[in-house]
Parts: sequence; structure tokens; C-alpha cells
Amino acid sequence: MSAPASLPAATDAADGPVDPVIVVRDLSFRYPGAQRDTLRNVDLTIERGDFVAVVGGNGSAKTTLCKTFNGLIPHYWNGDFAGAVHVDGLDTWESDVAELSSRVGYVYQDFTDQLVRPTVRDEVSFGPLNFGHADHRERTDEALEQLGIAHLAQSFVWQLSGGQAHLVALASVLAMRPSVIVVDEPVAELDPARAREIYRRLAQLNRERGITVITIEHHAEFVAEFARSVVLMAEGAPVWHLPVREAMARHADLEAHGVPAPDAVALTAHLGQEQLALDADSAARVLRPRRRPEPPSPPPSPPREAEAADAAPAAHRPRPAEVVASLRGIHHGYRSVSGGLQVVLEDLDLDLHAGERIALVGTNGAGKSTLMKLLTGLMVPRRGTVTVDGIDTRSRSAARLADHVSYLYQHPGRMFLRESVRADVALFPTGRRLPDAAELVEEVLERVGLQQLAERDGRSLSGGQQRRATIGIGLAMRPRLLLLDEPTSSLDIRSRDDVTGMLASLAGTVRCAVVATHDMDLVASWASRVIVLDRGAVIADLTPRELFSRPELTRRARLTPPQAARIGLALGLDPLPLTAAEVRAALDPALDTLLDRVPEEAR
Amino acid sequence: MTRRTHDVLSVEWVRLELLRTAYSTRGGLFSRMDPRAVLAWYVLLALAPWFTHDTAVLIGLFVLGAIGVVLARVGPLVLGLFLVGLLGNVLGLLVASLFFGGDLGTLAALAELNLKLGAVSMASMAAFVSLDPEKLSDALLSLRAPELLAFGVSYGYRMLPILVDEYVTVFEGQRLRHAPPPRPGILGWRVILQWCTLAVTAFSPIMLNVAGTVRTTVEALETRGFTYAAANPQGRRLRLAHLRITALDVLVVAASALAIAACYAIPGLLGVSPAPPGGAAG
Repeated sequence: MSAPASLPAATDAADGPVDPVIVVRDLSFRYPGAQRDTLRNVDLTIERGDFVAVVGGNGSAKTTLCKTFNGLIPHYWNGDFAGAVHVDGLDTWESDVAELSSRVGYVYQDFTDQLVRPTVRDEVSFGPLNFGHADHRERTDEALEQLGIAHLAQSFVWQLSGGQAHLVALASVLAMRPSVIVVDEPVAELDPARAREIYRRLAQLNRERGITVITIEHHAEFVAEFARSVVLMAEGAPVWHLPVREAMARHADLEAHGVPAPDAVALTAHLGQEQLALDADSAARVLRPRRRPEPPSPPPSPPREAEAADAAPAAHRPRPAEVVASLRGIHHGYRSVSGGLQVVLEDLDLDLHAGERIALVGTNGAGKSTLMKLLTGLMVPRRGTVTVDGIDTRSRSAARLADHVSYLYQHPGRMFLRESVRADVALFPTGRRLPDAAELVEEVLERVGLQQLAERDGRSLSGGQQRRATIGIGLAMRPRLLLLDEPTSSLDIRSRDDVTGMLASLAGTVRCAVVATHDMDLVASWASRVIVLDRGAVIADLTPRELFSRPELTRRARLTPPQAARIGLALGLDPLPLTAAEVRAALDPALDTLLDRVPEEAR
Repeated sequence: MTRRTHDVLSVEWVRLELLRTAYSTRGGLFSRMDPRAVLAWYVLLALAPWFTHDTAVLIGLFVLGAIGVVLARVGPLVLGLFLVGLLGNVLGLLVASLFFGGDLGTLAALAELNLKLGAVSMASMAAFVSLDPEKLSDALLSLRAPELLAFGVSYGYRMLPILVDEYVTVFEGQRLRHAPPPRPGILGWRVILQWCTLAVTAFSPIMLNVAGTVRTTVEALETRGFTYAAANPQGRRLRLAHLRITALDVLVVAASALAIAACYAIPGLLGVSPAPPGGAAG
């Protein structure tokens, strides 16, 4: 099996599918009223028991393709449909959505909209009851059991966390006992740790129940780790369908279609397909022999300037004198529906300084959002004092504090109050009759690159543009302290990099920026200081590099460091690399350059 | 002015009270009953006051309603709104009647209507506070209400907490980004006016956001057999199979019926009220 990696493979993964569960032949589809076909001559065979990742850029018709599997196309969306789709031997054209639903389950990207009943048990039994299955109770119990959420059966849907809600949506399709489950971008709306949990459950269903799993995914890290085969979509048709190892070996193809390869793959791709690592652990195993021989001696301190500041523990580093915000002895909590007081923050002391880029990390419920809302003055603490820009938040209404702090919500839709992006950006400065409001609005629109789209309603923009619009709204408030809640959630990789870049350029305008996030890549590339919250207390206050060097800490706070950092940690590299490039720099250059040449020759 | 965290009479409190009421998290007698029996009980108590003009009978029925409210553990928000409404009505009428030269006698004459309305309102509160969305939609379904209505009721409940959250967020954003009025004005009327304006305009972004989510919901309903169930009654039978009338249900409804009968009978037996209806005014 030492054949070269670059052998051209057939468009279809399987050379003779043993037992295909989905067969698509010459499929084209055009939405009603559209100018051109969304799907074009698609030929695809998916084998029973496969775990398929459908990847591709925005607008490559990944979702449309998957909706032909459960008959939503052509029966719910009736456009121009040519060709044939067979699911489990059933021609979807001659069947109907009801019949197909018991074979193909579909979990939407915005899965909370798919939950239609008030309680979890009712939600899961909804499908079986509608279809009149007498064993609906057993099906419901079974589905809840399989996903480990039996304890949630009596909960109300609005009480669930994002991860739980996704599992419930999954359970509700599982209760139909489908042979295929389609999951549309599970990572988009969930934090990475929870997305991994979803993938683990899917892999288990795939392994133990033989259910064919199809996921639509932007994040190649999950694809490499969990999928068995990969379909790359572009322009409404599959470019190729390959086993995951071969697919990852073609990382240039993936990169070109907006799905950059995970660090493990990027670091090992040049070693050939046999050695290609799909996850952090195997990457470390493959790379271990290529470590530099022990002391790289002469340069004792890292040469880069930025590193110098990083190296000193954040807590002991000399602070810039100016304090932008401070919290002293904060206790805060909320009343729950049952009436009890849920403590969220306990005895918290914190100073935020000018010039800092602060990442606030920790699990859901650790107190991140509460801390931010206390800083905006939307809430005042039950005990303790919050001072922002020298003002005690108790002494001023939130509306007046808005002159000093601005807070950007996680869901951009909730920040679009006006009919156009321009009006939304202008709302604050013109309302306060700032003399230079008009210029300010133009300047901000240019900064966030939305001049062309300024007259559109914010809701009609793409995910990345929406984020930029909200950052614009925040900038137009000219805050001393800028607070952002999950600015990169539910973005694809490209828009995420875009937003990260924009955050980096804020330094000149904003005295201090605080980001609450689960996105550790953002933390690694942007933050200068990380505050780790756990159950309402600060358990660490350090630099990203220090944080990711301490596995016991990341485990406790349930954080997943960037893949490059995990590889670096497994290799025992010091200082810990945070990006693939830094890992590469730490490896033996002689071996590396030698090996780098291989793929070019192979091509 | 020093700001503090309030546990009652704050936006957060209203939100929690809405949830507690809608999802009947407080428990109580009626929440343990079959929803059809609860509706039967409600019909009894809501209809009873309309067949009499006798103040003594109405006082009895009013007391019955109040007992229902206690047994159903109605929360402070709903109860408070009810009391404000009822007392406000009585007070308003009193002031108006005094102004136009009436006396306390007018109040007695108006008592009949207020007692009737009060009794019916309290029965409604007790019944609907005790029915969580699933029970209510099952009860409607079993009484042959259209599927869409039954589903709509439960879906409305499901959306309520989300809409409330969304509303609170949008309203917060409104407050932060609109300039506060430069001077509060007499009794802070400018501030109040702005709050009201913002409270109303906060609805429009929410409507637009919700419109975006409906497509997924409708597709999901399709894949989960909602339209299939409308044509095939098997699902309905299964869904309602769990409904059982128990001894408790029979007992509560029978006891209530007896109590209503007693309310009608006792004043007559005791001779408390004058025999011909309407004689009280003389």
C-alpha cells in the first residue's frame, strides 16, 4: 500500500459500491424563479454506513444537495428537477416527504428553529406520533437514551443550552429510526467543545447502529477527525468524492474552495499520504522524529519582539498605569424560574487596562456575559463596585454610560434596529448630536468595508458582513471600552479571519477591547491577555501562550486549544507554538526543507 | 440616584413570572388533573355567575373563585394585575358616581357586575395557570378543536420565552443607542415618553428576525409528519391515549358543582336575600 498519494482517483470514492444507500444520477435542480441551476448534473453514490462530510465554499449548493435526500426537493421546493435520486431503493420523485422522512433525518443549521414543541419528550415523540407509530414511547426513550439526554426528557425547550438543544433536534430525527442522518453545519452555532461532543455521538451512531451520517461542514479539523469520506462541492456539483485520507492529501483543492486544511494535515501533508495525520495526536507521533535535537542553544530568547512581552507571566508584567475599568468585590446572580438565586459571579476583582486586548473565556454559565453586562451598566452588581472610565456604574444610567462603553451582542440580528446599515451606524452619533456625526459615519463605514452595502438592511447581509456591520455600530459609539460577545461564532473560516483581522486593527481607536469567546484560534491570534472564568471566579489571568501550555487549566475550563498548540504541546515544544507556521519553525529545518520538496516532485 | 438590583417589579421579574405562569411551574391542585376535567371545571365556574342577579349568591361564587385561585397557586404578577384591574374599576366608578352626586348606594348597585367579572376572571386564572402548553393543546385536540389551533397554542407557548428574551435584548440595545432626553421634564414625562416609544419600536426588528426563522420551522414540520398527521387520525389517537379521568378529577368537578349549587341554595334557605330578584335596589 505504498502507492504514491497523488494517483488520480475516480470521481466516486467507491470503485463498486457494495450497498449504496443514496444514489444521485444526473441531477439538476433550479429553484422556482431562479436564473440558473443550483445543482448541475450531480452524480454521487453514498454507501450504507459511510460517514460523509460535504464541504465547499458558500453558495456551492451543499445544503440544496442534502435537501434532495429527504424529498424536500422536489416535493416542498418545486422547481425544475431533472435526473433521479434514489434513497434506500426509493425514487424520491415518486415518493413523498412523509415516506422519506422515516429514512432520512435532517438536522438544520439553525436547529433551534426546528424544535416546535414545548418539552423535550414531546418534541422527540412528535414525529413518531404524527406518523402513528404505536411504539412511539419506546422510540422516544431509545432516542433519548442513545444520545445520553434521558435526564432532559421533562425539560422545557427554552431551558436547554445550545449543545443540548442540538442533541434534542438530533434525537427527534433519530426517533424516526432513519437509515441516513443529515446534519447541517453543527459547528456553526455551537462552541467547539460541544460541537466535538455532537460529532462523537454521530460517530457512535454510525459505528454502533450503522446509520449513514452526512454532515455539511466548514471546519476541516472535524472532517479530518471524524469523516470517512469527503465530498467537495463547487458550483453546484461535486468536484470529487474521496476517502478522507486522500481528500486531505488534496489540501490545496480544499484551501482553494474555502476549506483550509487543519494544522495536523498542513504539517504532515508533505510526508506523503501514508504519514498524513488527521488529528493532533497522530500529527505529534509523525512529527516527533523531526524535532530539532535538544538544545537549539545559541539564541536563548526568542528573537521576535512581540514574544518578549508574551514571555513574562501576565500577572507580574509591569502594567500600563491607566485603568479603563475595574471591578471590586463583585457578587452577582439571577433569580431562576423556581425562585432560587443562582450565583453567577462570586467575589470577583479585576482591572482592565488601556491597550489590552482581553479575551474572556470559560464554559457557558461561567459568567462571561454577566461580567460584560455589568461593565455596560445594563445591570448593577448585587454587591461590589464596577467602575468604568472613572464612573461608578451605580451612579449613572446605562444610556449615559453608553458614551464610554459599547457592547456588541452575539446575534447581529438583534442589533439591527433601523432600515439600513448606515442608519444603524448613525443612530448613536446623530442621536447625541455629535458635531462630526456625518463624517464619523462615513469613516466607520469605510473602516468596516461596507460603503457599498450601507443602504441595505443588516439582516440581508451575509454572516461575515453582519458582524462587520455590528463592529461598525460599536465603533461609531467611540467607546473607551469595547465589549464583544462571541464575534466569530457561526462564521465560516474565511469570514472569521476577516473579523479577526478587523479586531486587530481596532487598537488605535479603542482604549481597551474585551471579547467573550469560545474560539481559541481567535484567542491565540488576537488576545494579549486571557481571563479564564470558571463558576463565577477568575481561575487564571495570563497570556494565550501560557494558557495553552497548561493542559490542566484548559481541561478544567473545558477549552480546546488550537490544533497547532495541541501538537506543539504533545511534542513538548517550548515556547509553545500557536500556529502551524510556528510549529514548522520549531522542527528540524534540514529535514523539513528536504521533505518539503517531495510533493512538488510527485506532481 | 443609586441603582440597585431588584428582584421584584423589574423587567427580569416580569419575564420570570410570565414563564412561571405559562408553564405552570408552581404546581397546585389543578395541574395534577386531567386537562379535560380542568376545562370542565372552568366551564362550570365561568358560566355559573351569569344565571343570577343575587348579590349573596355572587359573593358565594366569588369566594369559590378565590379558593380556586389559592388552590391553583396563581403567581403575584397575574394576581396583581387582576387586583389592580378590579379595584381600579371599583374606585373609578366610585369617584365618578360621587362626582355626579351619587352615594355609596351606587357602589352597591355596581357590585353585582364587579362580582360577576371577578368570579369569572379568577376561574380563568386558576384554570389557565394550571394548564401547561402540552396539556392545553391535548385538551383542545381531544375536544375536536382543529389540529392547527391545538398546534398553534403549543407553538405559541414554545416561542414565548424566546420572544421575550429577544425583546429584552432589542429593548436594551434601544436604550443604549438612543440618546436619553436631555432633561427629564415634569415627573420625568420625557423619559417615560421615550421609554414608551422605544418599547413599541422594539417590536419591528423582532418581527423581521422571526420572519427569518419561520422557513426552517415550516420545513421541519413537513419532515416530521405534521401534514401527514392531519390526514391520518392514527397519530391523534396515540397522542391522546395518555389522557385519563381519575378519581381526583371526578371529585374536584363534583365538589365544585355541589358548591355552586350550595351557593344558589343557601341564601334562599337562610332568607338572607329578598325573594324577587332585583329587589335589592329598592
